Amino acid sequence: MADKNLMEMARNTALIARKAGAKDARVFLSRSRNVTLEWRDGKIDRIRESTSQGLSIDLYVEGRYSSNSTSDLRTEAIEEYVKTAVATTRYLAVDEHRKLPDPSRYEGMTTENLERSDPTVSDIRPEERMAQARQLEEAVRAGDKKNKIVSVTSWVSDTSSMTVGFATNGFEATEAGTSFSRGAETSVRDTKDRKPSGVDYGSTRFQVDLPGIEDLGRGSLRRAMEQLGSKQVKTDVYHVVMENRVAPTFVRHLLSPLSGSSIQQKRSFLEDKLEKEVGSKLLTINSDPHLKRGLASTAWDGEGMATIRRPIIDKGVLKTFFIDTYYASKLGVDPTSSAKSNLIWKPGKRSAKEIVKGMTRGIYITSFLGGNSNSTTGDFSLGIKGHLVENGKIIHPVSEMNMAGNHLKFWVNLAEVGNDPWMHSSNRSPSLMFKDVQCSGA
Amino acid sequence: MIHRINNDGWSRRKFLATSAAGATIAIAPSFLIGCGGPATPTTGPADLSGTSGGGYFRNFGVDDQVIGKVLNAAMGKGGQYADLFFQHKVTSYLGLEDGEVNQAYSNIKLGCGVRVLKGDQTGFAFTEDLSTEALVSAAMTAAVIANGPAAPLLKTIVRVDVPQYYTVEIPWTDVGIERKMPMLARANKTAMAYDKRIIKVRVFTGDSTSRVMVANSDGKITEDTQPMTIAYLTCVAQDGKRREENYYSFGKRAGFEYYNDDRMDELATVAAKRTVTLFDAEQPPAGEYPVVLAPGLSGILLHEAIGHGMEADFNRKGKSVYANRIGKSIAPDFVTIIDDGTNPNERGSLNIDDEGNESQRTVLVENGILRSYMHDRISAAHYGVKPTGNGRRESFRYPPVPRMRNTYMVDGHHSPAEIIASVKKGIYAETFTNGQVRIGSGDFSFYLKNGYVIENGKLGRPVKDANLIGFGPEVLENVVMVGNDMELNVGAGMCGKDGQRVPVGMGLPTVKCNGISVGGVNNG
Repeated sequence: MADKNLMEMARNTALIARKAGAKDARVFLSRSRNVTLEWRDGKIDRIRESTSQGLSIDLYVEGRYSSNSTSDLRTEAIEEYVKTAVATTRYLAVDEHRKLPDPSRYEGMTTENLERSDPTVSDIRPEERMAQARQLEEAVRAGDKKNKIVSVTSWVSDTSSMTVGFATNGFEATEAGTSFSRGAETSVRDTKDRKPSGVDYGSTRFQVDLPGIEDLGRGSLRRAMEQLGSKQVKTDVYHVVMENRVAPTFVRHLLSPLSGSSIQQKRSFLEDKLEKEVGSKLLTINSDPHLKRGLASTAWDGEGMATIRRPIIDKGVLKTFFIDTYYASKLGVDPTSSAKSNLIWKPGKRSAKEIVKGMTRGIYITSFLGGNSNSTTGDFSLGIKGHLVENGKIIHPVSEMNMAGNHLKFWVNLAEVGNDPWMHSSNRSPSLMFKDVQCSGA
Repeated sequence: MIHRINNDGWSRRKFLATSAAGATIAIAPSFLIGCGGPATPTTGPADLSGTSGGGYFRNFGVDDQVIGKVLNAAMGKGGQYADLFFQHKVTSYLGLEDGEVNQAYSNIKLGCGVRVLKGDQTGFAFTEDLSTEALVSAAMTAAVIANGPAAPLLKTIVRVDVPQYYTVEIPWTDVGIERKMPMLARANKTAMAYDKRIIKVRVFTGDSTSRVMVANSDGKITEDTQPMTIAYLTCVAQDGKRREENYYSFGKRAGFEYYNDDRMDELATVAAKRTVTLFDAEQPPAGEYPVVLAPGLSGILLHEAIGHGMEADFNRKGKSVYANRIGKSIAPDFVTIIDDGTNPNERGSLNIDDEGNESQRTVLVENGILRSYMHDRISAAHYGVKPTGNGRRESFRYPPVPRMRNTYMVDGHHSPAEIIASVKKGIYAETFTNGQVRIGSGDFSFYLKNGYVIENGKLGRPVKDANLIGFGPEVLENVVMVGNDMELNVGAGMCGKDGQRVPVGMGLPTVKCNGISVGGVNNG
């Protein structure tokens, strides 16, 4: 279905809502096509290929609100669904804060080419995916000098999507995008029937930006082999380095309490921290929705508001919350947009490897295992895996360890930021070094 | 590969994800419009059992003839087996915030997943368009996994009756939003009244009715109607400058009859109590301690520590820490562990799995000996055993993989009091929010939300917010006492694997384990 038809369908759906009695409506229609090939131990394991479509509609009816979505896009089915949804919405309590964004917020959308779409996506032949996946496995096995591999699974995946948005107060926009990923997971034999696995992967908007097959193969095997013989170390306070690719998992717990909902519902340990210090001076994060080829780049957010570049934390000082139109109204402030977009960090001077070399005693964290963070109090406790470091050298892998603390104290101890942003996440976090972290093990 | 469970039901993140997609409420099945008739109950779909002929999806133009045509297309390139998974799922959520029931969300999923197998290789495609052309096109896409002559054409189709493990008196498709709203209002009132320190309450309810039909190239068709409901209440309390938050939830395969005033009061009271208790709690001391697990939700230990490792896909691939352990001792002889799809109305119960296999009660560990993995069709064929009814999927958009249902440990001989009294210094773990496991290395974790320190055999001060970590096989060997008070968790557990989320149940009697590392503070 061409995007013109999608837009017409979005407009028609909003019109149905209006006719049924909605004051306002916002419709998103999307279509996406994905092909994923998984390859395991010398042959195809699974091929998945589908084109998917969906419609969602936010309804504003007599001061009331509901949100509805369906994959049943038959014309008569949509009409009946929207009518029923409008009728249902009338039963709800009136909520004066529910409204579409002020139309002025739709204006000034960037016209820059954000390079969200790689036109080569439609040229990929099935044989190419298979060849890549096979080569990924071969690249892993080529390094298996000690014959430790139990199993290798590799994958190649590409997606193209198109979304149109329409709101009855003047929002109308279309955005296309592509994404590619490939990688490998390698399981190796250890003692006690343990079979630790290592994953290496890349995820990009353009095919050409994916990491090389040889690199991914080597990385996957290395990450598995490095875990052989892992053990606990003693419960103590350590310096820790978080590898760039796992740092976003931890940073998420700092940023999610910045949502308008968390602030208004009093579930945020950062509620009173705007323009105040929340971390060390090394902590600077900006949100850049207009980054070329950024995984979260977009001209408009989930409400259709034009996106802008903005600082999140500047030299340790909190600069903004992520507030949508609804919670902005409840809080009596202007909406800032709920979208975090691409997070760009002010880099430091050294890589993780160099930072580790300079460490007297500490833990180099290469993955997290479960755990959680309390957004109301800032307390957290997370499982960690990685390596014990002494005098700049990696001594042995560690597992069955936790680290715990409180974000408000923890980020003050951010002692170094790496020069190595992780490009395969919308949060392009570099490696991070923290002092004096409570870790528990044996 | 990482597998997560999330026990806080419709967590905020999940809820927001849902709300972005949005949908509702006693929605008229839209096939009625397709048939041109008015949406009245009397013209409803054919009986689910299929005995009245044709089945539910005939309402969308999918009759036996269409099914045969699509299966033949799926088998047209040399596949050894194919199945079609039709689904029509209507979901409705309702939310209360700041005292008002002012948010409704609804979602309709309609589509069909086509799977073709050749040995252990899978070709998969899905379509949201149930026209014969779109179904055949999806089937031809899935068929490419094979490369050979077409299978003989399918001649007959047999509809098979299925057992019923979830009775519903008042189906959600008959319940309008106006009947649900007072439930949320009541829970809110009860929670706010529980303690004057409670300053914010949010209540969500969700219900769904999923009609599924599995048709396979053996000519077998099974159908099921799968109800689900959840209720979730979260409180924020303030004492001076200090704030705390906690929650409670229910999750059942049941209809509207599951709810009444007492149920909603329980939801509110437990959530409120668990919240204000946290004012007296601190993060526990760091280090390795004996942990006594309270009955019920602590079943998350089984789910993470050993459950995923016993899903047969990881074993047939040789990747699980439990590969090649069938028939061997993996726990003390007083440990028996079951994965069960037949518990009446429980969250993880199933009449049939998503491959059309009958559900069952599967003994995983019997008196300490590993007896069975959990199988889907591919792994059952690999091991030469019958499927155990564990082939599950999130929706028609995914191929099935082996998944848990309700996983629990059967009663032992100790009283709970006796177990607590046996611990000199340790942790009593009562509630959890989430867990995770690395299948291959066997490391697992689960996150403690409410618990107590045990000192000299007695419960001491409350503790909170600590991650517990262990090595699965060792933790099972280190189960030293099993209580006689098994409970199934009542909450809304969700499990993630292979990028797919499915509802699961879990249970445990009071159990004492050694060798668990507690992610606390203050160097112990």
